[in-house]
Amino acid sequence: MYAAQPDAIAEGRRAGIEAHLAACAECQEAHDFFAIRDDDLADDLAEPDTWEPIIGSATHAALMEYGTRVADEDREAEVLLQAYLESPITTAWTTLVAKRRFRTGGVVRKLCTAAHSVYESKPRVALTFADAAISVAEALPDDLYPALAVYRLRGTAWKERANAQMILGQFPQALESLDRAERAYGKTAHNGLGLSIVALVRASVLYAQLRLDEATVMAERAERGFTHAGDEKRRMDAAFLRAGIMFEGGDANGALTVFRRIIEHGENTRSLRWIARGSYAAGNCEVDRSNFGEASLLFHRALVIFREVGPDHELLATEWGIARVMFHGGKFNEAIRRMRDVAAGFERRGMVMYAAYVGLDVAEGLLALNRTTEIVALAKHLFSVFMSVGLLTGALSAIAYLKEAASAKRLTKQDVEAIRAFLRRAERQPSLQFVRPPRAPG
Amino acid sequence: MQVHADEATYMTPPAMRTGDGPPAGFEEAYLQFAPLLRKIAVKKFGIPMSDAEPLVHDVFATYFTNAGEVNDVGPYLVGGICNAARHHLRRVDASEAIFCGEIACVATPTESILHEVERKLLLRRLFARIGSRCRDLLHRYYLIGESTGAIAGALHFKPMTVLIHLSKCRKRALEAYHSMTEKPPT
Repeated sequence: MYAAQPDAIAEGRRAGIEAHLAACAECQEAHDFFAIRDDDLADDLAEPDTWEPIIGSATHAALMEYGTRVADEDREAEVLLQAYLESPITTAWTTLVAKRRFRTGGVVRKLCTAAHSVYESKPRVALTFADAAISVAEALPDDLYPALAVYRLRGTAWKERANAQMILGQFPQALESLDRAERAYGKTAHNGLGLSIVALVRASVLYAQLRLDEATVMAERAERGFTHAGDEKRRMDAAFLRAGIMFEGGDANGALTVFRRIIEHGENTRSLRWIARGSYAAGNCEVDRSNFGEASLLFHRALVIFREVGPDHELLATEWGIARVMFHGGKFNEAIRRMRDVAAGFERRGMVMYAAYVGLDVAEGLLALNRTTEIVALAKHLFSVFMSVGLLTGALSAIAYLKEAASAKRLTKQDVEAIRAFLRRAERQPSLQFVRPPRAPG
Repeated sequence: MQVHADEATYMTPPAMRTGDGPPAGFEEAYLQFAPLLRKIAVKKFGIPMSDAEPLVHDVFATYFTNAGEVNDVGPYLVGGICNAARHHLRRVDASEAIFCGEIACVATPTESILHEVERKLLLRRLFARIGSRCRDLLHRYYLIGESTGAIAGALHFKPMTVLIHLSKCRKRALEAYHSMTEKPPT
């Protein structure tokens, strides 16, 4: 009581207590807790949110009610959408939004989740789900959820549409979808993460269009946004993309600096994935800088990790990097042998464009060894692989040109480079037509 | 090889879902971070508590709407209140608030704010250990601001008895504090 209200104690008694406190360490500590901590904590004790777990609050009640609603909607959406998600064609032919029960945030969330899970492997299916999500999200009243949260759902649905469109090579449409996503997210001040994700996807689309300067600006914007939202994982994704854009733009030195930072981040956070991805990418930079020893070390570091934790295609890409180092070291035969294995690995996984890129490296090696007959055989094989997966575009013309030039024994290193550059563009723009490289007169 | 986009799922993560009612993770996140968000809005941005409360509500509501998309809840919410507060003050438009060029979010809590919030969370845990009578007494005295006389009148005690009970409750709080901080009682 003395600690709380010393004045409430009679003067004589108070003096006695003070004397005792001066002599007794134990009592002094108890007094300090009550008296000193009381000074510190008086404000806290007088603030309602200190008592919130006990007495509740209007905010707490409203949010828990909303949380319950979200969970209920999610549960219902799982049941409602089961048949549609199992049969995307049904989803495509059904106007979900016409059914009242389907007009909920839960349905939008479920469709967006479904779209996101397949946008890389089945972009057309993802597009179907994203379109259905958009139609529902746009039909929801603006004030259906607190804090105008419906705009977050709309933003996410449009963003998923953009993801699918990007993979399908529909770049202008993807950028339009991103505009819509951005407008939706921008309706409130609470969607910073969404806007940053939009910036990241936009950077990817611009990169695919080889609009490298604009892509860089967007990747930087995403990086800043993720820093702001405290999302380290996505910040690293954005940094990795930014460095990839620099590398693509021919700035191997600048890219290397960022990739080195990514490796460092991986080491600090004990993230094997980032160490491996950063090492692989930094290895590519070192190859460009003709630092083959350093490149080899980096590739091998990545190799050990990818062997352990996967994924397989990144392991193959790293083995390809090692083979390229050998190639530059003049060990053509060994490099070619390894590259053939890597190309076969990509083919088995259905990654035919990567198989073609490796094949072009093999062709370059064979050209250096003057084994043009083997290039013809290689080109025939690539042609049949492209045919088997239905690639009837400029890519086929490019490979046909490779075969033709090799048969005529007039294939040059510049030709191989031109085909490689074309395929890189055609990967993202399937309608692109191959134009034969100009020949020097004579 | 190119990286595109993010990895996200938009449903409430199954691990957060319970039976009926809000997902357990929602309440946990709210109780853990709401005091911090309020402190940031009030102390860092000078927003009155009455205006800060709706901002805190909206940041959480937006989070609940797509919780599965968020990788790291604490920093996400801190970033959210920063955006909301800046937007509220109309210093900049929403987009600039989000992509501010500063190295770290201006709302990055200072050590003193973190310390205050930590104290508050400790107090909350303390309340769970001192019994309902003590909680009620402290609640009346500190939060409602009733005088010892008024409390005595309501509980049919003498004012001096209220003071004695207050003292006992605080002693109990001290014991709870020691047991929570693993400090041997003196």
